[in-house]
Amino acid sequence: MSLASPLREVASQDADKEVPTDPYQRLRQLLLGPEQTAIAGLQQRLDKAHLRAEELSRIIAEAIVLRSRRDHALQNALNPLLEEALRVSVARNPQLLADTLFPIIGRAVRSAVANSLRAIVESLNETVERSVSWDALKWRLESLRTGKPFGEIVLARSLRYRVEQVFAIHRETGLLLAHVAREAENARENEMISGMLTAVQDFVHDSFVETEGAELDTVELGEFNVWIQHGPEALLCAVVTGTPPRELRNALQRTLEELHSNFASVLSQYDGDTESASGMRPLLEACLVGQQPREGKRTASRAWLWVALPVAGLLLALGVNWMVRRHRWNQAIENLRAEPGIVLTSEENVWRGYRLTGLRDPMAADPAEIIRRAGVDPAKVNARWEQYVSLDPRFQLPRHVAEEKARIERQVILFRVNSSQLDPEQLLRLDDVENSLRSLQGYASASGRKLEVEIAGHTDPSGQEVKNATLSQKRADEVIRALTDRGITVDTFSPVAKASQAPFEWKPGSYVPELSRRVTFRVLMHNERK
Amino acid sequence: MIQKKVCMIGSFGVGKTSLVARFVRSIFSEKYHTTVGVKIDRKVVEIGDKQVTLVLWDLAGEDALTTVRPSQLRGASGYILVVDGLRRATYETALDLQGRVGKAIGPVPFLCVLNKSDLRERWEVTEADVEALQQRGWPVLYGSAKSGEGVEDVFQELTTAILKVPNVRDDTASEATPRGI
Repeated sequence: MSLASPLREVASQDADKEVPTDPYQRLRQLLLGPEQTAIAGLQQRLDKAHLRAEELSRIIAEAIVLRSRRDHALQNALNPLLEEALRVSVARNPQLLADTLFPIIGRAVRSAVANSLRAIVESLNETVERSVSWDALKWRLESLRTGKPFGEIVLARSLRYRVEQVFAIHRETGLLLAHVAREAENARENEMISGMLTAVQDFVHDSFVETEGAELDTVELGEFNVWIQHGPEALLCAVVTGTPPRELRNALQRTLEELHSNFASVLSQYDGDTESASGMRPLLEACLVGQQPREGKRTASRAWLWVALPVAGLLLALGVNWMVRRHRWNQAIENLRAEPGIVLTSEENVWRGYRLTGLRDPMAADPAEIIRRAGVDPAKVNARWEQYVSLDPRFQLPRHVAEEKARIERQVILFRVNSSQLDPEQLLRLDDVENSLRSLQGYASASGRKLEVEIAGHTDPSGQEVKNATLSQKRADEVIRALTDRGITVDTFSPVAKASQAPFEWKPGSYVPELSRRVTFRVLMHNERK
Repeated sequence: MIQKKVCMIGSFGVGKTSLVARFVRSIFSEKYHTTVGVKIDRKVVEIGDKQVTLVLWDLAGEDALTTVRPSQLRGASGYILVVDGLRRATYETALDLQGRVGKAIGPVPFLCVLNKSDLRERWEVTEADVEALQQRGWPVLYGSAKSGEGVEDVFQELTTAILKVPNVRDDTASEATPRGI
C-alpha cells in the first residue's frame, strides 16, 4: 500500500478542522496530530485543579484502603489532623458531639456504674467476711509490717483457690492464641474449647442480653469457675477451682491489658498462626496463681496451735491449782472434824473463799490454826463458831484444871485497915484456895509441869505509898505463910507487892477501900522442860 | 501451628454434621446444636509441608425456626455450604445463605458441597442447577457422608484456597461479589 492513501484518509478525517497552509505544518499535523491532541488534553488535566481533584476523587478511597493495608503511615499522618478537626468541631459546636454521643453515653455510664457497684458489693462482702476472721487480723499485721497493700496480701495468702488453666482467645475468630495449664493435658482440645467458649458467649449474649458491651464474664459449675475478661481484641479465660478472690479479676485484667499493649500487631493481624502468639505464654503463666486448699488448712491449723498451746497450758495450770487448793481445803475440813471440841455443821465454797459454821468448845484447839496447818489461808475463811461444852473425855482433866484455876483466881483474901493479919472468916476462903491448889499441884506433878502461884498483896490508896508497899508485901507473905503452914507445897510462890496500884474499883474512878485491902491469886503452869 | 475458623452452613438436615463426623475429632455432643446453636469440631489438613488446623463451626441448620447468627460467622476464614441433593429447597436456601454470609463476613473462600451423592439417581437438584452454580463462579463438589466420598477433597480444596488469601485483615465487607475458588 502506498503512503498516499493513509494521508488522504487523515486529510479526509480532519476535513472539518482548520488545515494549515504551510506544507511543513501540514506534514507535522498529519504525522503527530493525534499525539498533539493527547498532549494538549494531558496538559489541560494537569493545569486545571478541578479536573485533578475529580480524578483523584475516583481513586482516593481505594488508595486509602490499599495503603492502610500496607502499613500504619497513613493513620499516623491523619491522626493529628483528625484530632485537631475534632477539637475545632467541639469548640465550634459542642451540641453536635453531644447529640452524636447521646445514644451511647447512657449505656456507657450505666455499664461503668453497674460494674463499679458490683465490684463494691463483692469487695464489701469479702471485707465483712474477712474482717472478723483470724486470717484478716494476721494479714492486716503483715500489711502493716511489710507496707504492702492489704489486697495484695489477701491475694497472696488466700489459699482457697487455684487457677488451673488460662486461655487467651482471639476475640473475632474465637481462635486460640495461647494456652497454659498446671498439668499437661490434651492440647488439641483447647482449640475446640476456646471456640466453644466464644460460641457460648455469643449464645448467651444473643439470647438474653440486649445491651451492647455486656459480656459473659463468669461461668460457674460446682467448684469450677471460668472467669472471662474481655478486651477489644482478645479474651482471657481462667479456669479456677475453689473460691477465687475479687483481686484475681484485677490481676487477669492487668494481664489482658499487657497482652493488648505488648502484642497489638499480633492481635490485629492474627491469622491463626499460634507461633506469632507464643510470646504470650509467660504472661499467662504468671496467672496460674493460688495454692492447694489442703496446704492452706495445714497452715491454718499450725497457726491455731500457737494460740492453743498457751491456752491449754494456762488451763492445765489453773486445773492443777484448783485441785491442789481443793485437796488442802478437804484436808482442813477433815482435820477440823477430827478435832475434839469442834463440831462442823456446815461448810461451803463461796467466791474467793470458804464459809464455815459450827460449835466449838473453848477448850478446843484454835480452828484457824488447824486451817492454816492444812495449807489454807485462814483469812479466806469466814468462820462462825457457837460455843458449847464438849463431853469429850479428853477435855475433862483440862477443864477441871481450868475450873480450879479460875476458882483460885476468883478468891480474894480481905484485910482490915493497916493490918496483915488474917481474919478468921478469911481463913474459910483460904480453905477453898488450899483445896484447889492441892488439886492443881497434883495435876501439875502428874503432867510434868511446874505450878507457879503469884500472890499479890494490895492496899487501899490511903496513906503513904512506901508504907503501902511494905504492907502489901506483908499481906502476901502472910498468905503464903498460912498456905505453907497448911502443908501446901507448890513449886513456886511468887509474892508481889502491888501497894495501892491496883485498887478494887466498883466502877472506874470509884474504888471501894474495904475491897481494895486484899490479896489476889494468879495461877501459872509452866512446862518443866522450858 | 496454623488455625483457621471455618463455618459449616446449610439447611436443616442436609448432613453437615454427618459429612464431617467421620473425619473430625469432636469432644462436644450433638446436644450443642439445639442448645448453643453450634458445635465445634477440629480437622487437621496437610497442604504441602504445612499443617493447618481447621476449627469447624458446625452451625445449627437453617430452617423456619433458626437462622444463622452473624456472631457465629465472625472471623471465619472460609465456609462450606452444604446442599442436600435430594431436596431442591436446600439448594435455594444455599443461594440465599451465600448472599447473607457474604454480606456478613465479606468475600472469603467457600465451597458448595452437594451431599448424598450416593443416591444420585433420586436427586431433585439437576445438572442444570449445578451448572448455574458453576456459572456464578461457585466451586462445587460432590460428597457423600455415607461413603465418605469427596469429603477429604472438600477440606483440602478449601484450606488451599484459604492459604492463598493474602494475610491482611479485611474490614471492608463492602465487596458483595463472591470470591469462590
